Amino acid sequence: MARIPPQLLTQSLQSSAALAADQHAALLLGGYHPTPTGDALMQETITEAGVVRARIPALDNLAAKDHQQPSAVYRLAIFVVTRLGPGLILPLVLLAVWQLSATYGWLPDQILPAPALVLDVLQERISDGSLWDDTSISLLRVLRGFTLGAGIGLALGGALAASPRLHDYLNPLFLAVSQVPILGWVPLLILVIGIDEGLKNSLVALSVFIPVTLGTFQGIRDVPFAYREVGQVLTFSRLQSLTTIILPAAVPAIFTGLREGLSNGWQTLVAVELLASTEGLGFQMAYGRQLFQLELVIAAMLVIGLIGFLFDFLLGRIETHLQRWQVAA
Amino acid sequence: MTTAPLSQTAFARPARLLALPLILLAAWEVSARAGLVDPHLLPALEDVISRGEAEIANGELLTALGASLARDLAGFAIGASLGTASGLLLGFSHLAQRLFGPTLRVHRQIALFAWVPLIAVWFGAGEAGKIAFIALAAFQPSLINTWRGVLDIPARFRELAAVLTFSRLDFLRFIALPAILPAIFTGLKAALIYAWQATIGAELFMTIAPGIGGVMMQGRQLFQMDLVLLTILLLGVIGAGFNLIANLGETLLLRRRTS
Amino acid sequence: MKRTFLAVLLGGILSAGAAFADPTVIRVGYPGVGVDNQPYGYGDTASLAHVGKYLEDAFKDNPDVKVQWTFFRGAGPELNEALAAHQLDFAAGLGDLPSIVGRSRGLKTKFLLPASEHGSLYLAVSPKSNINTIDDLKGHKVAQFRGTNLQIASDAVLEAHSLTEKDVKFVSLTTADGLAALTSGNVDASFGGSEYLDLQKRGIVKIIYASKTDAPIFGTNSAFFVTEEFEQAHPDLTQKVVTAFVKAAAWGSTEANRQQVFEAWAKSGVPVESFAEDLQGLSLARENTALIDDFIKARYADKAAKAKQYGLIKKEIDLNSWFEPKYLEAALKELKLENFWPTYDANGKKLTDGAVESQKQAAAQ
Repeated sequence: MARIPPQLLTQSLQSSAALAADQHAALLLGGYHPTPTGDALMQETITEAGVVRARIPALDNLAAKDHQQPSAVYRLAIFVVTRLGPGLILPLVLLAVWQLSATYGWLPDQILPAPALVLDVLQERISDGSLWDDTSISLLRVLRGFTLGAGIGLALGGALAASPRLHDYLNPLFLAVSQVPILGWVPLLILVIGIDEGLKNSLVALSVFIPVTLGTFQGIRDVPFAYREVGQVLTFSRLQSLTTIILPAAVPAIFTGLREGLSNGWQTLVAVELLASTEGLGFQMAYGRQLFQLELVIAAMLVIGLIGFLFDFLLGRIETHLQRWQVAA
Repeated sequence: MTTAPLSQTAFARPARLLALPLILLAAWEVSARAGLVDPHLLPALEDVISRGEAEIANGELLTALGASLARDLAGFAIGASLGTASGLLLGFSHLAQRLFGPTLRVHRQIALFAWVPLIAVWFGAGEAGKIAFIALAAFQPSLINTWRGVLDIPARFRELAAVLTFSRLDFLRFIALPAILPAIFTGLKAALIYAWQATIGAELFMTIAPGIGGVMMQGRQLFQMDLVLLTILLLGVIGAGFNLIANLGETLLLRRRTS
Repeated sequence: MKRTFLAVLLGGILSAGAAFADPTVIRVGYPGVGVDNQPYGYGDTASLAHVGKYLEDAFKDNPDVKVQWTFFRGAGPELNEALAAHQLDFAAGLGDLPSIVGRSRGLKTKFLLPASEHGSLYLAVSPKSNINTIDDLKGHKVAQFRGTNLQIASDAVLEAHSLTEKDVKFVSLTTADGLAALTSGNVDASFGGSEYLDLQKRGIVKIIYASKTDAPIFGTNSAFFVTEEFEQAHPDLTQKVVTAFVKAAAWGSTEANRQQVFEAWAKSGVPVESFAEDLQGLSLARENTALIDDFIKARYADKAAKAKQYGLIKKEIDLNSWFEPKYLEAALKELKLENFWPTYDANGKKLTDGAVESQKQAAAQ
């Protein structure tokens, strides 16, 4: 081993910690925990293929210096352009078409107001606070309905998967209810519950409940028997088996159900607010239409789309986080 | 020979399946007869049924049903085929995916009903508009599911095609399409459901025309709960029918699969 | 007359004014539907023209011309959208507020003749309600079909009692939905028209305000409009259409036809008795007049000013260039009805007598 200059030694001790973390992560994906060898200068790593590679972090550091990591700002810019860039092309094209339509009158401007007008309206409503009011009201309604529907859906889905007998009892009813379009319940519920929060909560909850139950049920039921066997072999308790094996395996299906549920819930809320409401984003859309100010409609649509996108994004992130143990196929 | 416990006899399962619905029906009958519930709010089952018979007799119900179904199927056909085609495009083409993906993800989140004014302008608020609306509703799920189906083609399938030196066309025909078919079917099933939901929505939000939605509104406005309940029952039955047909189709067409 | 179209569509095909080459289709829109979703209107001469097939008769010798009626559940606002999309040629019975809103947004239409004046506005509450006057409405939930002429009329009533839209929680519901909401207790009160009279009779609601007992500003109005596009392309057809409407209005103003008028309106699902009650002691001619006189001009000026005041429109509208009486005048001349209807001044005071009234007196004797 060559004689290593003292400065590099201290540097290497610091950088090896950082490098070790990266390796740690890499090995975790490969499913193996490295055992520390106690030797800071040289680390053994055992890769998935069982090959032993000795690394001398200090030398790594030397090599790394040649390829300096570009600055964070630069990396962010690259990220934005390459990852987000292509995705932005279509929206920009649509925006351009929209503006052209407004300028040349392809579509009557009462029906498709110019982008500038929509922007004006948005600014107006942001500054007088009404946008925040309507958005928060709608958001609260969705969250309430979603929590209710998803909570019941998860519990019921799990119960149905756990007990075939219960499934026999409840499934016909569940099927029957889920076949009726959500809006089909409106006349009945309006007459029974009225047009207040109760109507919105129950309809949103119902539209969330159905996909979540289905997703949970299918997810848990479709956990391969082999996995359960592992649990039995390792003599897991039911709870351990549930939390360590079944739920993680069912996560994709459950989350598909949750995402669909949230999307449904949001759509249902807008539809119900369109039909009968006194405030909220859906109400803004209906109101804008009634007063022939479709820029209000479009402004509300944009906010709705944005929020829906954020919801979906968040759920996707959570799902990825919960799935980090997955070995890529 | 040991006798199986009652819970495992041949009758047990059907009995369990029917238990809850029968209990509910019985409760409904009892409450109506005993006058426990305001008959305005919950008419007796036989009232609902006799109303149904009356409406069938005077042809109203069947006309409405026919009109709704026609719209639904037209919209579904258009939307589902466009959605599946787009899903295939996005799945197989990286470029298309990066160009159209994010926009489509956002579009999915905008409530369908927000499009009603614009659709009313482009296609009119009559039949064409309703069918366009339904097609839009059917487009989304078929797109997402087909897209996902293409993405989920296991890498080893592609490797196999490479090993067997398949042309692209052969790869599509023999390997990719059969692999995607289940996903496409899931998409079609979902599209069917969404299309039916959108049919009702379209009838509620757009101009009057014969249809189940119109019958429902009529019942609600005239305070005729028997009509409202009748339409709900009908909606459920039709939805179930669609589901059944879709499942049947799926089993038939996919029965050659082994995994 | 309705047709079902088979849709041939790809998203994004812009329909550029669906006036088919042959035959010419005259597309007429009516803002509203009957209470049981029937495509029939009530309370104006437009619905009379529809039921009596006056338009179709006018063109029955003309196979190249077809008449097509569309009834909009979303009333005025939805009709405006169709106008903007060049999907209509005539708006029959479009309410004052929606037509004013449309004009302020740049819809190019011409005011041909009125379809109804002094339309009734009623405020209905649940019988057990403790709301007895307009002032009691404060803080309550009220159903109101926003964007229709009911809105501007009810806003005016509120203003007269020092209430603004902020003091009352308005829920926008269609007429029929408002009925349902009121009867099921979902709203505390509901503004509407003569459709509430039947409910009061059945004891389901209590009417605590009637605009006919109040100043003329609080009544609703509606009119016939033609798109400038159609008018310029087919002035002859426009004239024929106006003449047909005037004929219908004349029929609807003749007292001898009172019962048949109510029966024609009753096709919408509102009972005959409601119209009898609504117009009790009032002449048909007062409501169904076809004249563009100072009264109707003043009404629209009022409504436009109020619309601006309540923030319902952003730009003021030019009223003078809106009225186009030449077709009306030609029709009156052709039908020899120049002196048929009485004229009124801006405040509703009679200026000249009309022949229809002596008919009424003759009938009454």
